[in-house]
Amino acid sequence: MNPKLYLPIAATLEKVVEETHNIKTFFLTPSSPLAFLAGQFVELTVPGVGEAPFTPSSSPAISDRLEITIMRAGTVTERLHALAPGARIGIRGPLGQPYPLDLFQGKEILIAGGGVGLAPLRALLFALFEDIGKYKKIIVRYGARSPEDIVYRQAVEKAWNKADALDVMTTVDKGNAFWTGHTGVVTSILDKNKLKINPAAAVAVVCGPPIMMKFTTLKLLEIGFDPDAIYLSMEKNMSCGVGKCGHCRLGPYYACKEGPVFTYRQIMDLPKIWE
Amino acid sequence: MPKWLPKDNLIKFINQVSAHAALFAQQSFYGHYHLVPVKEWQVDKHTFGAYRPFEPLKSVFFPPRESLGSLFQPNSDKDQPDRIVFGVKNCDLQSLRVHDYVFLHSDPIDPEYSRLREKTMLFTFDCTDCLEICFCTAVGEQPFPKSGFDINFSPLPDGFILESGSVRGETILTKCAPLLEEATASQMAERDAQRQNLSQRIARQATEKGLKPGLDFQKAVRNTQESALWKKYAADCVECGACNMACCTCHCFLLVDGLSAAGNNDRVKQWDSCLYRNFARVAGGANPRPLRAERLYNRFDKKFNFFKDKLGTYACDGCGRCIEACTGKIDIRDVLAEALHES
Repeated sequence: MNPKLYLPIAATLEKVVEETHNIKTFFLTPSSPLAFLAGQFVELTVPGVGEAPFTPSSSPAISDRLEITIMRAGTVTERLHALAPGARIGIRGPLGQPYPLDLFQGKEILIAGGGVGLAPLRALLFALFEDIGKYKKIIVRYGARSPEDIVYRQAVEKAWNKADALDVMTTVDKGNAFWTGHTGVVTSILDKNKLKINPAAAVAVVCGPPIMMKFTTLKLLEIGFDPDAIYLSMEKNMSCGVGKCGHCRLGPYYACKEGPVFTYRQIMDLPKIWE
Repeated sequence: MPKWLPKDNLIKFINQVSAHAALFAQQSFYGHYHLVPVKEWQVDKHTFGAYRPFEPLKSVFFPPRESLGSLFQPNSDKDQPDRIVFGVKNCDLQSLRVHDYVFLHSDPIDPEYSRLREKTMLFTFDCTDCLEICFCTAVGEQPFPKSGFDINFSPLPDGFILESGSVRGETILTKCAPLLEEATASQMAERDAQRQNLSQRIARQATEKGLKPGLDFQKAVRNTQESALWKKYAADCVECGACNMACCTCHCFLLVDGLSAAGNNDRVKQWDSCLYRNFARVAGGANPRPLRAERLYNRFDKKFNFFKDKLGTYACDGCGRCIEACTGKIDIRDVLAEALHES
């Protein structure tokens, strides 16, 4: 972390991979290694434009090169998407709390992603792979709007599906002429019997747009998950990233400091959490 | 032991303590006391103020706009001179509990705030008068400080009772011993009576506005989230953010990037307002508080609920600045009284 709390260090954009029409993965080399844990986030600066928070999607074991998957959604992301390899940007972090992997040990892990929300979950998967023997089972359920909106297509369709330790299933809200997989929102592939999961001995990790997280949470509760066992990535306006600027307050918490990952138990009684 | 500074020795005292420090004091113009930097103390211009100045004390430690420097070339640590703020009133002094909590006591430390706080001594003063909008007694405070100062001054007609509240304050009193006498019991009694009178006056005027001492504002705010009262008061809010800027405790800020005059990509830390529509909005447009009523409630929730839980005190010291500043004439005392009534 830069001793200048609010200023980034430099990072070079090495490569850009186009995932979908509005999502790209950026390969960055920070000017000094930036070690993060799965679930922690960084602030990226486009010089002269501003800063925005993102969760790395690459392996936390690698600190000299980070991959960050970003959807074009606002001012900063618009400008990030316009950058070409070689560009110099700023990076600040790591910030926030990581997934509590020690609490996941010995458990079945259900990972539910929606759209670009698969990005931080990919970093989590890499972290789980590092010590795969410690977890009983890993199930990934991923929903995208359409086949064209699936991120990490190669990985999702080939590598992850073939990995013995992983049970992966993808669904799209709306298929196309070539889509042979499941069609429907992500909750439609969270059936308890088909999942073959024991909610009492499992944790669920959810990341996606608010509407997806809301209905996925409700579904998980319905199939028997405890509010303590549901981990949610809350999207808030995290600006300073260190619990000072006040923008990302969520009841008694600052999302940037106590989060961005919260158990459903922590936030279930707060008003309007999905907005 | 409390000391006595005869009026005739005041300027000598100021000159002695300020020989190696930059000063802030108050100056009266346009009907207000203002917090101003002092190059050289002028008796016809500079004062300690009878009550708090227009500008909140936070601006001395957390400037409205603070340049953090160029993105990849941060400002080098400049040599920060020692500073003394003369005339700090208890509401402003207590507001530093919030800023200290945010910038000093919550990890990580804000380095600039820490540096300025470390280098600044606070010479507090008992209030000797109040504004009609002062209501510190309603939030558990009083118009004189009890702790947290370096030296406190209690003005009496012929001089000042001085008490040290820190090691560095004590050191100054020791160095200035030739200018000081021991305070007498009758001077202390006179001071206490003066304090009590003003406290009672403020308690009376706050009570007239429905805010007697000892009320539970946390409960009032918690229990009224769904009330129509927020919509009613928000109807007069024009989202100017003046209440936040004037507030002695508001600490929210925005990091702003842009080109400096020299053509560098600079970052600035500047005060922000939770009443602004986009304060909590995220990229893509989702906004947890799209309505002004929700944002107004959020302001009270943060001050009277969040900080009460985190710090054990409200993030409001009854200075009344937001009442003075509000373009829509929203009076925090009316809002609180109505919330109390409804809870």
